[in-house]
Amino acid sequence: MKKIIALLLTVVMVVALFAVGGGTAFADDEGKVFNIYAWNEEFKGFFEKYYEVPDGVTVNWIIVPSDNGAYQDALDAALLNQADAAADDKVDMFLAEADYILKYVDSEATQDITALGVTDFSNAYTYTVQAASDADGVVKGVSFQCCPSALIYRRSIAKDVLGTDDPTEVQALLDSWDKFNAVAADAKAKGYYMTASFAETYRPFSNNCTSPWVDEDNNLQFDPQIEAWIAQTDEFIQNGYTLTAGVWDDEKNVQMFADGKTMCFFGPAWYFNFCMGNAMDPDKGCSGDWAICEGPAAHFWGGTWLLAPAGSDNPTMLADIMNTFINDEEVCTALVANEAQFSNNQAVNAKFAEDPDYGNEFLGGQNDVAVFAGMTDNIVWENHTIYDQLLNEGLQTSLQEYYRGSVDQDTALNNFYLYVNEKYPTIVTP
Amino acid sequence: MDYNNSADSRKAKAQLTALRVLVYAILIFLSILCLFSFYMLIINASRSNGQLQAGFTLIPGGHMMDNLKNAWTDASINIPRGLLNSFMIAALTAVLTTYFSALTAYGIHAYDFKLKNIAFTFIMAIMVIPSQVSAAGFVQICYKYNLTNNFLMLILPGIAAPVVFFYMKQYMESTLPMEIVEAARVDGSNEFRTFNTIILPMMKPAIAVQLIFSFVQSWNNYFLPSLLLTKAEMKTVPIMIAQLRSADYSKFDMGKVYMFILLAILPVLVVYIFLSRSIIKGVTAGSVKG
Amino acid sequence: MKKSKGISYAKWGYIFITPFFIAYVIFTLYPQILTIYNSFFENYREGLKQVGPNFVGFGNYVKLFTPDKTGTINILKYTGNTLALWIGGAIPQIVIALLLAIFFTSYRLNIKGQQFFKTVIYMPNLIMASAFSMLFFTLFSNVGPVNQLITAAGWSEVPIDFFAYKGTVRGLICLMNFLMWFGNTTILLMAGIMGIDQSLFEAANLDGASSVQTFFRVTLPLLMPILVYTVITAMIGGLQMFDVPQVLTNGKGMPDRTSMTLIMYLNNYLGGSKNYGMSGAISVIIFIITGILSMFVYRSLTKKD
Repeated sequence: MKKIIALLLTVVMVVALFAVGGGTAFADDEGKVFNIYAWNEEFKGFFEKYYEVPDGVTVNWIIVPSDNGAYQDALDAALLNQADAAADDKVDMFLAEADYILKYVDSEATQDITALGVTDFSNAYTYTVQAASDADGVVKGVSFQCCPSALIYRRSIAKDVLGTDDPTEVQALLDSWDKFNAVAADAKAKGYYMTASFAETYRPFSNNCTSPWVDEDNNLQFDPQIEAWIAQTDEFIQNGYTLTAGVWDDEKNVQMFADGKTMCFFGPAWYFNFCMGNAMDPDKGCSGDWAICEGPAAHFWGGTWLLAPAGSDNPTMLADIMNTFINDEEVCTALVANEAQFSNNQAVNAKFAEDPDYGNEFLGGQNDVAVFAGMTDNIVWENHTIYDQLLNEGLQTSLQEYYRGSVDQDTALNNFYLYVNEKYPTIVTP
Repeated sequence: MDYNNSADSRKAKAQLTALRVLVYAILIFLSILCLFSFYMLIINASRSNGQLQAGFTLIPGGHMMDNLKNAWTDASINIPRGLLNSFMIAALTAVLTTYFSALTAYGIHAYDFKLKNIAFTFIMAIMVIPSQVSAAGFVQICYKYNLTNNFLMLILPGIAAPVVFFYMKQYMESTLPMEIVEAARVDGSNEFRTFNTIILPMMKPAIAVQLIFSFVQSWNNYFLPSLLLTKAEMKTVPIMIAQLRSADYSKFDMGKVYMFILLAILPVLVVYIFLSRSIIKGVTAGSVKG
Repeated sequence: MKKSKGISYAKWGYIFITPFFIAYVIFTLYPQILTIYNSFFENYREGLKQVGPNFVGFGNYVKLFTPDKTGTINILKYTGNTLALWIGGAIPQIVIALLLAIFFTSYRLNIKGQQFFKTVIYMPNLIMASAFSMLFFTLFSNVGPVNQLITAAGWSEVPIDFFAYKGTVRGLICLMNFLMWFGNTTILLMAGIMGIDQSLFEAANLDGASSVQTFFRVTLPLLMPILVYTVITAMIGGLQMFDVPQVLTNGKGMPDRTSMTLIMYLNNYLGGSKNYGMSGAISVIIFIITGILSMFVYRSLTKKD
């Protein structure tokens, strides 16, 4: 008993110590703690490698996974509390994805970065600047990457199915959805899957929507592109061209091993390192057996913007980080060369695209930068809403039950509406 | 007659043996059911991602230490921090819950006062109200007054624990007759001191049991902490485990995932293995006579 | 009964119970009242925008009981799910526990290794429910060991998608709840049986009662109080069911929300958008359901025949 009490007393003291802890303040007019909100470790890795933090400043990462809107919730709570938060607790920079960037850009929670000294966007791709600008064209942040998304195919399977693995020839055979669907049947006949997830082609469709998810009266609406995706997926599932796994599921990822039977994946440059670990596995992977082409529809996927929250107590460092990741040639070059990123610096990308010696080993030596660079002009930034992340995610999860045979399509859609009602009471569902 | 009797008894004996075999079979089946998933957990926590994907086996894979290292040093799920957070919250909650429940029970057990019966009935009535019913209001208060990510908000409510109070009250009724209380107290002395120095030590078994139970309950608690702890460095183990289930899950190597689960349940499992006898005894001590 | 000896100890009674009541009022009662109060308001956050609080009367309750497009009143569906998941686990839990308690306490059977069996069957009760269900998820996932076993043994060509069928998802949840609680119930019931006066059994034996008769005529009636206690606590626990289905289905209650419990539904509103209005109304309904069911169980089990 005495031992237990002694132990507990120790614990109380430890807690007290934690509560009191904290750093000594340096005399300077800007904050000593730089808080960055993010939903994963991706940018943190690049930041720690390529950004030199000024002496005396501690960088504090607050990482909340984005699933089910958890990241947005945590971020919203922090931003709403920004004015009352102690200097060391204020959000100094936060990351946002294309699916919900609008919510923050079009709000008082972010500030004009040109006023902070980030003024040169000449090298950045237009859509990345548009995405970070509010309705009046005030720029609130930058993206450190540009994310045109390509069709990533297995060379060996393409040879078997299409008779070629040359990116130009493959592109010619897959440059429309009609061709893509027809090839899916051929692949099936040879014992392959066209894609490994029912939602694999979601982005190529949804990025080309001609209307936003909700109209002016806040009614939920299905764009013809979304309907086309559903129709295609119905067909793919019925004919066994694809699997019922979600885009992030294990079941899909095992298809990237050498013994996988899937020909096509869709993804931008970040997809290689972030999601294709199985393909890169030294024992069971198939590095080098891959190549990319634009595919049936130009689109982008994801992308990480660095946004400037109003009320940051470290404005100089904030602006410095942003400038570093879009305008510092050395850093942008390193992102491409070492990290297989497609940087948001057109000059740097052009250098790689034109370099005959540059090639990506993972893609069998193909110059992926050249392919991505060629795709950027076709990317459009329009018809986005602040609800996109949860609506895209919710639609896919609800329909997955239908594709797995648990419910019929009407029930699946009804469950999607229930989900929307719970998340966004103001949206009117059919 | 004797002859008949022994034939009967032989038959009865055979029946009894058959029954015993059946009962042991049921017991062994249930034990296997209880142990199988944990056995699989330990086996799988010792296998590499490649081995796990290769197929099912009941033989350990020899990568226990690799998985432990990977899990322990994982950047996004800071399990050592989670274990520390969980431990701090659970330990303090256990102490507060046990101490104040004993104090409250003693207050009602040992003294006569006007509101005594009302107080007792009231506590008994609130015992059946599900705790989640107050969660919405509680969360609102925490967000309004900036008390989220504050361990105290998970610890202090432990002071009012009707179930533990009830257990303590029952225990006192059976082991702490008023004569002992009267003998223990010196007239006019500080009653608070009497409680701390004389009564509490007499309640050792009940206190030990409730310390363990309230520790485990708080250690395993998921609902409220998941609503209140949003900062990565404040998260407790159950929140981290639930996080494994969502999004970036597919990126994990499965050996590591099993290791996370093992780490989450290991502390309680170890304590249980050493104290199972008294824990099992403790389950019944307070509830039976009720 | 107790003499005061001239000194009044009454004030100590008040002092000793004060912390409990202060903590109760601050951390439980006040939030409870606030919850009920909130249920009459529209009050939530949508992104960075705070909506309300606006008084809406019974609007939130009306919304909860309005059928959706398919004619389902969802709160009733989730109540049904919760009850089904509870009963599916609780019936085997209580029946098996009763059987085991009788086995363990029977002098005739004289079971050896009781301590071992008790230790093993009680263990799951202490395991973190979220970790336990995460474990079940990994074991039963499409690429998990159970499916590896099934395909390797040739019982099925393709992996069985345990999370696509109502029956299997609910079955897993019930199985987990059963495993977590039957050991605990066994031990409670054993103590109850051992508390019964032995002479009653001897008398029954002398009268030539069979062991089945003894059970129904002697053991069960005398065990009733503890059985009521067990059923009511199991029920309160069952209505609060959250961790297991939440983690197992990643909060989605799949398939078709058939494993969505009331508390998961509450969490849907409370977790993200901090919808205090709707979550308040759901809490009040859970409170009412608990009250009604406790009353019902208490009445039906203690009814004299």
